[in-house]
Amino acid sequence: MPETITVAELNSRVKELFARTPALNDIWVSGEISGLKKYDSGYYFVLKDANSEIRAVMFKNAIPRLGFVPTENMKVRAFGSIGMYVARGSYQFIVEAMEKSGIGDRYLAFEALKKRLGEEGLFDASHKRPLPQYPKTIGVVTSASGAVIHDIITTSESRYRADILLAPAMVQGEGAADSIVAGIELLNRQGVDVIIVGRGGGSIEDLWPFNEEKVARAIYSSKAPVVSAVGHETDFTISDFVADVRAPTPTGAAAIILRDRSEMLSELDSYMTRLNRAITAAIDGKRHSFEILDSKLSPEKAMDSLDMVSMHLDDLSSRADRSLSDVLTAMRMSFSALDSRLQPQRALEDMHGLEERVEVSLERIQTAARVMLEKQTGRLAAVSDRPEMAIDGILRDANGRLESDSKHLEGMNPTNVLTRGYSMITDMDGKVLTSVDGMDIGQSVTIRMRDGSAVADVTKKERQR
Amino acid sequence: MTEYAEEVEKMSFEESIKTLEDLVKELEAGGIDLDRSIEIYEKAVLLRNHCRAILEDGERRIQKIVEDSKGLRKEGFDLD
Repeated sequence: MPETITVAELNSRVKELFARTPALNDIWVSGEISGLKKYDSGYYFVLKDANSEIRAVMFKNAIPRLGFVPTENMKVRAFGSIGMYVARGSYQFIVEAMEKSGIGDRYLAFEALKKRLGEEGLFDASHKRPLPQYPKTIGVVTSASGAVIHDIITTSESRYRADILLAPAMVQGEGAADSIVAGIELLNRQGVDVIIVGRGGGSIEDLWPFNEEKVARAIYSSKAPVVSAVGHETDFTISDFVADVRAPTPTGAAAIILRDRSEMLSELDSYMTRLNRAITAAIDGKRHSFEILDSKLSPEKAMDSLDMVSMHLDDLSSRADRSLSDVLTAMRMSFSALDSRLQPQRALEDMHGLEERVEVSLERIQTAARVMLEKQTGRLAAVSDRPEMAIDGILRDANGRLESDSKHLEGMNPTNVLTRGYSMITDMDGKVLTSVDGMDIGQSVTIRMRDGSAVADVTKKERQR
Repeated sequence: MTEYAEEVEKMSFEESIKTLEDLVKELEAGGIDLDRSIEIYEKAVLLRNHCRAILEDGERRIQKIVEDSKGLRKEGFDLD
């Protein structure tokens, strides 16, 4: 009698069989998601292809590793094992990991191209060109209807003004790569200063044209520097590696290329500040040197030095002057002394002066004598003893003294010198000659005598020993 | 200086700002006579004004390249 088991036992045996069969465990299954439902416990869906389908579940513990949100009809590769739901007697595919299908192939292609182009030098830092600081025209290769050109135009409004030239291109799907390449070449022919190549975010398939070799080579050959702005900040494409600069977003690309205008205006102001500071410093410096010069050259100082100099000069000249005038005065004095002594005219005047003085003296003496006489007479009057004798004696005395004084005085009168037989000899100019040294043989001289003068020629002279 | 003003008028922003920067540096370095300092200052002011005018009053053209049966041409591009 064959063994009879319960339904539960049967399903348990199936479960064990599944679990022991390697061909049903840890396998990759490709298919399309259908009938997708999300519960707290996880995703429930049917994995199907053209010929068959299987129920599948992805429990919530596996979801955080997924990296994308599964959608209806999405083609995926799911990794997992066959599991048995004993209570229902049904089996299903328990998904532990899942990726969008095709991604593996694309990923491999991406890595292969990146390696090849990298080895060829397309990503070399030495090939990266600097962006123009003040571009006149920015070329943009992107869709005319997308957010990219919109973001670039609005972002650049507040920035340094550059013309924007759009080369409309298809940025996804069939023919997109060729369209992008054409746009890059077109803008280069237009002579733009810099090119933005970009598109908005999307699936890896959407971004794929920017991973194509022809696009990479067009960017590499572009005469104008290229800024890539493809997808979201986390997306990297081959274009990003080749581009001279990778911008995280189209807005970022505009901000990288064009400087903020208010920032530039304040930079201009800072130049003015620096300029003002420098010119002030320059002028202060000059003023300082001027002040030094000025202080050296100031009128007061100049007057001071002039005063000093002129004082010195005055001193010198006054001393010179004084000594000179002293000398001159002294000389003049000696000359006039000599002169007066040597001029007969002056000598005569002197003689007249003497005569007068002698006469005055005589008068004074006579007066004095008379006064004395009167005094004596008065006294005599009082003396009664021998009055005549006393008067006679006094008178005799006085007369005698008077006489001798007169004779003495008479002798001092130069006229009387001539009277006494001396004569005075002058040259023809009237200069008194007192030495034979002043005489020349043949010279005419004047001989002045008591009562006149005579002219004589010197015929001989002899010096006294 | 009027001659220089005409020259500045023809300069691009890039030329102007570069020249301005050089002049400022020259003045800052010092060691130049007062006449040159004043000349630099006057030139720098002209350049600054020119740069400011470009920044404040400059216009920009937004165009797209259109290719049709008549060939290539540029036309104005407006955001919708």
